[in-house]
Amino acid sequence: MHLTSAGRRRLGVAVGALAASALVLTGCSAAEPDGPEKITFSYLWGGAEADAIEAIIADFNASQDEVEVTGISSPDFQKQLTSLSASQGSFDISDHFGNAVGSWASKGIIAPLDDLLAANGVDPADFAPASIEQLSYDGKIYSLPIAVHTFQLLYNKTLLAEAGVEVPTTMDELADAIAALTKVEADGTITQLGLGDPSPSTTITTLGYAFGGDWDADGAPSPTNAANVEALQWYYDNVVAPVGSGKLAAFKSGVGEYMSPEDPFYTGKYAMVIDGEWRAVNIPNTAPDLDWGVTAIPAVSSALADSTQLTVSTLFIPSNSKHKEAAAKFLAYLVSDEGATAFSLALGNLPAKLSLVGSSAYDGIPQFSVWLDALASDNVHALSSAPYSAEYSTDLGLAFDEVLSGTSTPEAALQKVAGNSSNYATE
Amino acid sequence: MTVRRRQALAGLAFAAPFLIGFGIFIAYPVAASGFYSFTDFNLFQAPDFVGVDNYTRMAGDERFWIALTNTLLLTVTGVPLSIVIAMAGAHLLNLPVRGQPLFRALVYLPSIVPVVVGGYLWRWMLNTEYGFINHFLSLVGIDGPGWLVEPEWTKPAIVLMSLWTVGGTMIIYLAALKDVPRDLYEAAAIDGANWWTRFRHITWPTLSPVTLFQVIVNLIAYLQIFTQPYLLAQTRLNNVGAGPGQSMLTYAMYLFQNAFSFLKMGYASAMAWVLFLITLAITIVILVSSRRWVHDGSR
Amino acid sequence: MALADQIVRRRRAPRWVRGWRIIPVIGLVLVFSFPFFVMLSTAFKETGDIFSAPPTLLPTTWTLDNFVAAFDQIPFWRYLANTLFVSGLSVLGTILSCPLVAYALAKIRWPGARPLLMIVLLTMMLPPQVTMIPIFLIWNGLGAVGTYLPLVVPAFLGTPFLIFMIRQFLVSVPGELIEAARIDGASEFRTYWSIVLPIARPAIVTAAVFQFVWSWTDFLNPLIYLGNPEQYTLSIGLYAFFGENDVAWGPLMAACVLFTLPALFLFLLGQRFFIGGISTGALK
Repeated sequence: MHLTSAGRRRLGVAVGALAASALVLTGCSAAEPDGPEKITFSYLWGGAEADAIEAIIADFNASQDEVEVTGISSPDFQKQLTSLSASQGSFDISDHFGNAVGSWASKGIIAPLDDLLAANGVDPADFAPASIEQLSYDGKIYSLPIAVHTFQLLYNKTLLAEAGVEVPTTMDELADAIAALTKVEADGTITQLGLGDPSPSTTITTLGYAFGGDWDADGAPSPTNAANVEALQWYYDNVVAPVGSGKLAAFKSGVGEYMSPEDPFYTGKYAMVIDGEWRAVNIPNTAPDLDWGVTAIPAVSSALADSTQLTVSTLFIPSNSKHKEAAAKFLAYLVSDEGATAFSLALGNLPAKLSLVGSSAYDGIPQFSVWLDALASDNVHALSSAPYSAEYSTDLGLAFDEVLSGTSTPEAALQKVAGNSSNYATE
Repeated sequence: MTVRRRQALAGLAFAAPFLIGFGIFIAYPVAASGFYSFTDFNLFQAPDFVGVDNYTRMAGDERFWIALTNTLLLTVTGVPLSIVIAMAGAHLLNLPVRGQPLFRALVYLPSIVPVVVGGYLWRWMLNTEYGFINHFLSLVGIDGPGWLVEPEWTKPAIVLMSLWTVGGTMIIYLAALKDVPRDLYEAAAIDGANWWTRFRHITWPTLSPVTLFQVIVNLIAYLQIFTQPYLLAQTRLNNVGAGPGQSMLTYAMYLFQNAFSFLKMGYASAMAWVLFLITLAITIVILVSSRRWVHDGSR
Repeated sequence: MALADQIVRRRRAPRWVRGWRIIPVIGLVLVFSFPFFVMLSTAFKETGDIFSAPPTLLPTTWTLDNFVAAFDQIPFWRYLANTLFVSGLSVLGTILSCPLVAYALAKIRWPGARPLLMIVLLTMMLPPQVTMIPIFLIWNGLGAVGTYLPLVVPAFLGTPFLIFMIRQFLVSVPGELIEAARIDGASEFRTYWSIVLPIARPAIVTAAVFQFVWSWTDFLNPLIYLGNPEQYTLSIGLYAFFGENDVAWGPLMAACVLFTLPALFLFLLGQRFFIGGISTGALK
């Protein structure tokens, strides 16, 4: 109707600008023949953790002139999977979690590290054995632990003193403590829970180890191991049954966000929790007034003392990287005593290296040693990393949910997981 | 050149951008997913042909049925609510009141909020102790439910969070209301027609083709609903939860979990094609029925 | 018309009665914008003030610290420029391509119209999770991963959702107008450009708004396709406030307010076109 010539010209200009910008977009990846080899480190961390990583990258870049690392924060693992699926990936080193190693290694998308480590003087024996076990597949090491996590019993000293409860050292004492520390009003409404569960899955699998159980015996899922069933039953009997699953759910729907100032452990809604070492860094910042303590998870017998679960944050080099040697140099730096200390301090995680157990570098973090010392325990276990691990841990989580909500018994729920495991991916 | 031929060429020329896009970026991925659905494929290694195994396995997969049921329940409640609220809201926002542009912007605003932040915001709002929703309910004497921990209340929570972004559907209706012939409307008002007669005979004929569009795209969106339940059920970043009693596990979440957590892309592709067929079947029913209720300006 | 207007005006209720209409409108606006106001007020709260039981709407002490922290944590202006670049080009692509295709589907009588409409519909029905990786591999094969191309080119090739939407608007346009132009000997493109586009303006502006907001809020595609933090968009930047175990609530909400404001401003601006709508069109 009324298309002015000015309008036409504007459109022409816009299309021209688009074509020009498309050219600019594609034509800028000239390689430099000399100078340091450039590699990309893509990491899942964000926020303050990403800042800490960038500082370590800067230190590495300044320390030598052969390799130059660019860090990029990619907080979603779909980015990793898409890049790994291509013939040429977009990063040369990245981080993930220990339980994925078996699955990824079996598919050939992450590179075996044995030769690369030997060339850079990294000895796998320096790391916590349970972590290296989880990161190996078919006799080869496919990832290195950049940080590890153990789980211990945290307690609110004020609440324990009020209830006249001593710090529990046996499972029976823990059961009594839970009973004494759980407060319920006349109508059944819970106002305080003896033992909270920031992550029911981690709490229960850890308790399974403490009862002498094993979730993967002989390289296959073993959910129905008698001690596993016993641990789940114990948890139900002592945490859920006394208050009722409905009241427990209602109580949990009103707890604050994890590790915020309203975290239920910080506000006294949970008197005790089983959780990882990052709490030691978080509490002084988020809940400075909390009077808290931490102790080893109570044991069923002296042979099972200091039982805990180890989870692992890992570093891996993708098979499609064109700069594996350079990436391995950076990897070696990250796991050196110097790099691992800087990293673990910045993130408030445990270093994976046995040589750092007892290191004075961590003296500034209150009670950190309770978690750190556990690395040297004989009773520290990690879930196996196999092609089926993701499915297995999902099924375990669902089984725990059924038991905690009172819709299934421990025996039946874990039996169902065992039944499902025949459908699991095998490679 | 005959008229027919010229028309056909014109059609091709006008549709060219989409035809090119389809040829380069859509046809192959669609065909590939169809092929993968008959294979054992882990994303990285060559797929193994397994016939219809993936399809038959779905029949005995308990979680598949839970996810499908949850999704259908969300769809049959979410779609009608979206349409009704969007149409009523658009009429309200079309009233000539002072500040109208700002009001429209505020209703559409939730669609601009990044959905991840929206998810956190809603989890907080739905918290029984610290959240506003139960706080407001308690002001009128209602003891609100534990939205995210009671299996029977998680779906209303998902629908609530989804309806928050219904502003997009609303502004499509607002654009459609622009085409309602106002002179007819006012003439009818003079004739003393009541609001329902006016809506039925003047507004609805213009809104009906757009309503057909709204019903179909909302149906597709709800059958593929992922982000809202994923965020509400999530306990940590990068972790697929299912909510209490798996009440929040939707079809797309289970599909996502198979594809990217379990690396069973063959099974995920088969699930995608089953959902495709379900969507198609419902859409065909709607399209056939639409001949009775959609007014076509060209006829 | 002028007479009818006068009659209508006389029949209208008195001013104070009409004033009541604003109440349901305000109610609607309050319900929808409430979570946003929670976000806004949180952005001005001190850390210890953010959560409380019962919740409080307004900060007890107002602070700008969160905004300072937000600007500190992410290179806001660079990300904003990148985001505007991607969103702007995508909107341009959408405006150029989608109405064209929609016109072919709605108003040209050719044998491909029906089948193509079905294809447009069908492409929306397959869950995107299974096509994500094949599409990535195509871009990777084209050597375009690490550039903005995968984020903007698809808009120039037409988005099924928006094609279908504009098509539904065009369907309700009376066919006589277009026929008249054709009989006058106007070329198909001229008919499209001078008759159809002006009529379809509300639909096209709506499509532009949708495309803008999609590009603005898209997180996964920029993350997957961009290879360099320098190229990152605001939605990725927001992840700077999510730690592995905890969230920096105050700065996140402040960043989120900064994230939504430019889009809100553009939306308010866009409504001028929106409201123009049919009055400049050619319906009469």
